[in-house]
Amino acid sequence: MAEKLINIKINGKVYKAEEGETVLSVCNRVGIDIPALCYNEALAPYGACRLCMVEVVNGPGKKGMTTSCTLRAVEGLEIVTDTEKIKHHRNILFELYLAQAPGSEEIRKMAAKYGVTKTRFAEKVKPLDPLGNKCVLCGQCVRVCDEIMGTAAINYIGRGSNTRINTPYLEESNVCMGCGACAEVCPTGAIQIEDVEDKRVMKSWSNTKVQLKKCKSCGRYFAPDPMLDFTYGKLDPEIKEELKDLCPDCRRKLLSKKEILINQGEAYKNEK
Amino acid sequence: MEKEELNKIVNKYDTKSGKLLGILEDIQRNEGYLPKDALIYVSKHLNVPLSKLYSLATFYSFFNLKPVGKHIITVCTGTACHVRGAPLLIKEMERLLNVQPGETTSDGKFMLTTKDRSFSLNAARCFGCCSMAPVIRVDGKIYGYSTPRKLPEILKRYGWIEEK
Amino acid sequence: MKIKTLEDLNKIKEKGLNKLLSSDKPHIAVGLASCGIATGGDRVFKALEDTIKAKKLDVELTKTGCFGICHEEPLVNVRIPGKPLVILHKVTENDAEKIIDDVANGKVPEEKALCKIEEWDHLTLDETVNYGKGYSNIPLWNEIPYFKPQKKVVLRDAGIINPEDIEEYIAVGGYSALYKALTEMTPDEIIEEVKKSGLRGRGGAGFPTGLKWSFIKKEKSDIKYVICNGDEGDPGAYMNRNEMESDPHMIIEGMLIGAYAVGATEGYIYVRAEYPLAIERFRKAIDQAREYGFLGENILGTDFSFDIGLVSNAGAFVCGEETALIASIEGKPGRPRPRPPFPAQKGLWGKPTNINNVETWCNIPVIIKKGGDWFSQIGIEKNTGTKVFSLVGKVKKAGLVEVPLGTPVRTIVYDIGGGAAKNRKVKAVQTGGPSGGTIPTSLFDTPVDYEHLKELGAIMGSGGIVVMDEKTCMVDTAKYFLNFTVDESCGKCVPCREGLKRMYDILDRITKGKGEEEDMETLEELATTIKEASLCGLGQTAPNPVLTTLKYFRDEYEAHIKEKRCPAHVCVDLIKFEVNKDKCIKCGLCYSACPVGAIDWKKGKTSIINKDKCIKCKACIEVCPVGAIE
Repeated sequence: MAEKLINIKINGKVYKAEEGETVLSVCNRVGIDIPALCYNEALAPYGACRLCMVEVVNGPGKKGMTTSCTLRAVEGLEIVTDTEKIKHHRNILFELYLAQAPGSEEIRKMAAKYGVTKTRFAEKVKPLDPLGNKCVLCGQCVRVCDEIMGTAAINYIGRGSNTRINTPYLEESNVCMGCGACAEVCPTGAIQIEDVEDKRVMKSWSNTKVQLKKCKSCGRYFAPDPMLDFTYGKLDPEIKEELKDLCPDCRRKLLSKKEILINQGEAYKNEK
Repeated sequence: MEKEELNKIVNKYDTKSGKLLGILEDIQRNEGYLPKDALIYVSKHLNVPLSKLYSLATFYSFFNLKPVGKHIITVCTGTACHVRGAPLLIKEMERLLNVQPGETTSDGKFMLTTKDRSFSLNAARCFGCCSMAPVIRVDGKIYGYSTPRKLPEILKRYGWIEEK
Repeated sequence: MKIKTLEDLNKIKEKGLNKLLSSDKPHIAVGLASCGIATGGDRVFKALEDTIKAKKLDVELTKTGCFGICHEEPLVNVRIPGKPLVILHKVTENDAEKIIDDVANGKVPEEKALCKIEEWDHLTLDETVNYGKGYSNIPLWNEIPYFKPQKKVVLRDAGIINPEDIEEYIAVGGYSALYKALTEMTPDEIIEEVKKSGLRGRGGAGFPTGLKWSFIKKEKSDIKYVICNGDEGDPGAYMNRNEMESDPHMIIEGMLIGAYAVGATEGYIYVRAEYPLAIERFRKAIDQAREYGFLGENILGTDFSFDIGLVSNAGAFVCGEETALIASIEGKPGRPRPRPPFPAQKGLWGKPTNINNVETWCNIPVIIKKGGDWFSQIGIEKNTGTKVFSLVGKVKKAGLVEVPLGTPVRTIVYDIGGGAAKNRKVKAVQTGGPSGGTIPTSLFDTPVDYEHLKELGAIMGSGGIVVMDEKTCMVDTAKYFLNFTVDESCGKCVPCREGLKRMYDILDRITKGKGEEEDMETLEELATTIKEASLCGLGQTAPNPVLTTLKYFRDEYEAHIKEKRCPAHVCVDLIKFEVNKDKCIKCGLCYSACPVGAIDWKKGKTSIINKDKCIKCKACIEVCPVGAIE
């Protein structure tokens, strides 16, 4: 289904956009720099980090500052980025971020990119923080685990400045699949996962341990059991039985062997 | 918590609007707090991830995750009560009940319970009885025009004994 | 019985009027809203009940809501047939005997009387209710200073009818506006009437109600919702509580008319858990409305069907925000969602939803019955109608006050409220709760309306007016409000979650004598960013108390920061707890007040505070008649 193409103005220049596309997405596409922490193309816009703010100067809706991740492109929309006002507020936000996540190198780099290298505010340092004092509560991990993976092993706990993210009762989760999508999306690298022998240890999530599958061929532990079951369950056509207990390398080796044998004209038993 | 009780509560709500909050509120009303096994039961029965229920329980001030004392004293800390001296009431209550101030539990709730579990002290935002500020509530009964000097007399009605 | 026709409605109306105006026996009604009960009204009721039974008298005893003059509670209405309704004040159980004796002899205890009502216009009833003339010694209700400037529109039934009896509501014209709407008007005509009235959302934002309704009316959907926001989280505000407890049917009728106008078939009333009586009265009212056919299928014989569910909040102020409220009903934590999309397009369960405050719904029946033009004559331009305010704090006469919009602050605080209590001087008022601001006495001629208050940096909010006197510290007040918003912030967005906390930390330091020069500037900088960048109304307005106190009471901040002194003697860490020998009048009041015996005093001698024993409870400071303790 093709979306209608319309024109919007960014910093005085006209750009094409799909009607309804988020302004942040347009900017990312055309190379206009706008910082963001809680934005992910795969997730619904969240509007929590407030870094992607732009100013609406003309358009059907309200004028003034708003987040570009929730602002939808419509014909006649005119916005500006990087005004003095936006930069001023963004800098104060970065001071707050530096104070909130003193353990994060990513935040330090991002803030420095926009000219903020120190903060007036006391740094929040929690000894033995399972997220290494790097979490900015952007919520991507929670949303990915819930909306994309459908598991919801972790969630917000508490409210306000006491909010943190972890497993219920801070106990090992019995629904976590060990997929690591949370760590994948985390913008500050706060989530720690370590494979120790036959278990994947979600160190940040109350040391939840997920059983890893052992490759029948080479014997190495290669992926979490529940994750494999989850993925296998979604494949259509179903994955061949002989491949289920093989690690990716050994699977490749087996399939290559098959290809070679087929090319050599020899029939291969155990087709199904 | 009894499975029968839980079943009754879970099945009481037939519309999805207000269902989860209503169920948790009913459990809280029965038990004085939200027992873990009750949340696990609700999670299984309604097919709602436990993390979401725990998230609800820790977001809303109303819910306690730990057992509470026999009598619950709530000091109103609304604006009218604040300007008429609510902080002094809390301080005096803490002193009379000998509970440690400034305690925040891991779930961020402010609920101080005496060692013998006879009283729990917490604060609420506003009961809407501002004309009689400052107000405290013990087990649902409101006492208006409170002062630190009136507190021992109120506590004694609930079996409190003054320590000399 | 299900009411289907006008005849049915009128029959019940007559029945209800007979209860209110029975000509054969005396009628006593005890004010039993939450504040009435809290001051002992329930014990008064029991005492009266027992006495009537013991004396085997034929006296009608019922309950009623709150008449609004809360500082005089418990209130008891006494009506002898043919004579005016008399409101007794500060009634105790010990008065029961005398009251019943007098009533049995056709009299009222005039020494306990506050005021009388000879006739009453319930607005939705075409005729005024005539009680009768008499009691020349008792003033009329609107002759007493507290009520003189007031105009009862929203509170027209409160404290007069029994909120738990639908027939008394129908007696005073209840559900007749609904009848008019369903049988004589089209949805568009109803929206036009509301637009004409100029009614603006009473929850605080002041958005034109008719316009809001037209947005959701436009949406095409099989399901639409209307919601009543009864979360009233502003501490110090209890207008909605009274409206819900004293006249729940008025809200149900408003929602019915609104639902018909915008095309909704389902409604929800969302009440905070801290209002158990309001929840109970709503439950009863909804059951009765269903029983009499006002909720359910084919209401009043038309093809309009509608029903209401009741949902209780669980202690989260942020759920007063529309999108957070919706999330809460959906069984989620109350974290606001970015707008657009607005609830009118995508609200509860993704369907078009219209949310209005309790008091907004309250105004609908009277607007439909009397017309939008009638309503727009009250108040001032662009701010029509009345507003109920809760006048509380360090004021002499605390209670609920209903005045036309545009009434000056001065009238409310001095004429109605009687000024500061304990013969002190008023310093400021705080309006709009934690989202609002402080207004110093120098600006008390300001009319109370949406625009004027916004200009001052305050907001009208839901209607809480907290009076502060010279013993209120404005820095402590700012810190108090920030403590509230920090605690109630949902935590989703950074400016509110992190920013407000940092502001609080700075204020905390200042009140503890550790303030620094740059603090005021940092506070202002943070405040502006939080206001601009926050996701929802909570964060966007939370800095207002700090900004207004910095604007109007900067000298107090400077005293705290530069001189390490709290002029109002509130910030405990800045009080030395020493008796000034020159000021001490040796009365010994402090000695008696001290709960831990930390004060040494003998008759005729200056008192001395033992700092090792002192627990800094300030009881001594409170009682010292000359302010000798510093």
